[in-house]
Amino acid sequence: MIPSPDERLEETDMELIDRWKAGDTRAATRLVGRHSQALARFAASAGERDGIEELVQDTFVRAFASLGSFRGESTLRTWLFTIERRLMLDRRRADRRSRETVPVEESDHVSEYGALDSLIAEEAQERVRKSLDALSPTQREVFTLRVQQGLSYKEIAEVVGTSEGAARVHYHNAIQTVKEFLRDE
Amino acid sequence: MNKCTENEIQEMLPDLLHRTLAADTRARVEAHVASCEQCREELEVLRTVMSAAVFAPVINVDQVVRQIPPYQKIVPAVERPATTRIVSWLVAATMGIAVIGGGSLVLARRDVPNDPTAVVIKEPPVSIPSQGGSEPSRVAGSGSQPDAGVAAVAPHTHALALAADVGGLTDGNLEQLMTEMAQFDALPATEADPVIFVDSSFNLEQDSE
Repeated sequence: MIPSPDERLEETDMELIDRWKAGDTRAATRLVGRHSQALARFAASAGERDGIEELVQDTFVRAFASLGSFRGESTLRTWLFTIERRLMLDRRRADRRSRETVPVEESDHVSEYGALDSLIAEEAQERVRKSLDALSPTQREVFTLRVQQGLSYKEIAEVVGTSEGAARVHYHNAIQTVKEFLRDE
Repeated sequence: MNKCTENEIQEMLPDLLHRTLAADTRARVEAHVASCEQCREELEVLRTVMSAAVFAPVINVDQVVRQIPPYQKIVPAVERPATTRIVSWLVAATMGIAVIGGGSLVLARRDVPNDPTAVVIKEPPVSIPSQGGSEPSRVAGSGSQPDAGVAAVAPHTHALALAADVGGLTDGNLEQLMTEMAQFDALPATEADPVIFVDSSFNLEQDSE
């Protein structure tokens, strides 16, 4: 007996996309379930505090609206990270305008992790948080995508909008900073 | 602690933690880590970072999915089928041809009877001076008043149709143009050229004095 699509353990993202295009809403549920927590973690790692659920939802709505043009040249998760990162940058620009606070540019060495103090309890987590706090936003993005999400440098370059070589340099500088920070603590 | 020179292996340490390496590569990396203190320390740092994942809220999958419209509702706005696009182009091209063709036809019908640049001449259209051009040639329409020889367009008549771009000329310019054209030797002379008789006894020197 041939198992139904729902019974198959590992259905690829492209197969689920095709099923969703054919009208199967359960395929959308599986895709969202497969990637939503990774998107939430990435947003939290990048310094987002409020509205992560809304951010993830917006990411999926935009992604599904454009799935007709997704050719699978990158993985779906990388593509989702790219969309989510753009949304985060848009949010920060909008927040800057509305609050008239100090601008937070990608290249600025400005910490956004102070808001996460109350969310990290363990001592080890606190040390890691502080070490990540010492990184530039771009270094932090590259480092968390590499270490916590396991993306390749090619995928990271696509998400962050830089070259593969630049992503390697950002990672190298980030791991040195984190190591030194944790060693000195 | 000795500095590790195996950059390639160092770069693969996150992949070792995520278990995404092929079996042979994984064995090679693990063998190196066992003998390299720096890589062991770096691997420990990476484990610490991975285990200290920052807080992230749990996403309500069903709520997200409810916000996603069905693909069939997205397609018309995002990705129209190629056949629909071709039909649209054909309709647009047909309408364009109809508008241009119809407009040209209307203009042609309107312009023919009222074309100010078209001058129709009844026969005889031109009278050629019979004696050495002492009299100016009479060309239809050369005066400011309409000539009796000029008539409305009629079939089987000779028409002197000027180029359309002279339509912008003023009456004065048109009159000058017609005068100049009257001096053209455009029609073959029907009579012999006048003969000039020269008196051989005529003295030029005397005349000049």
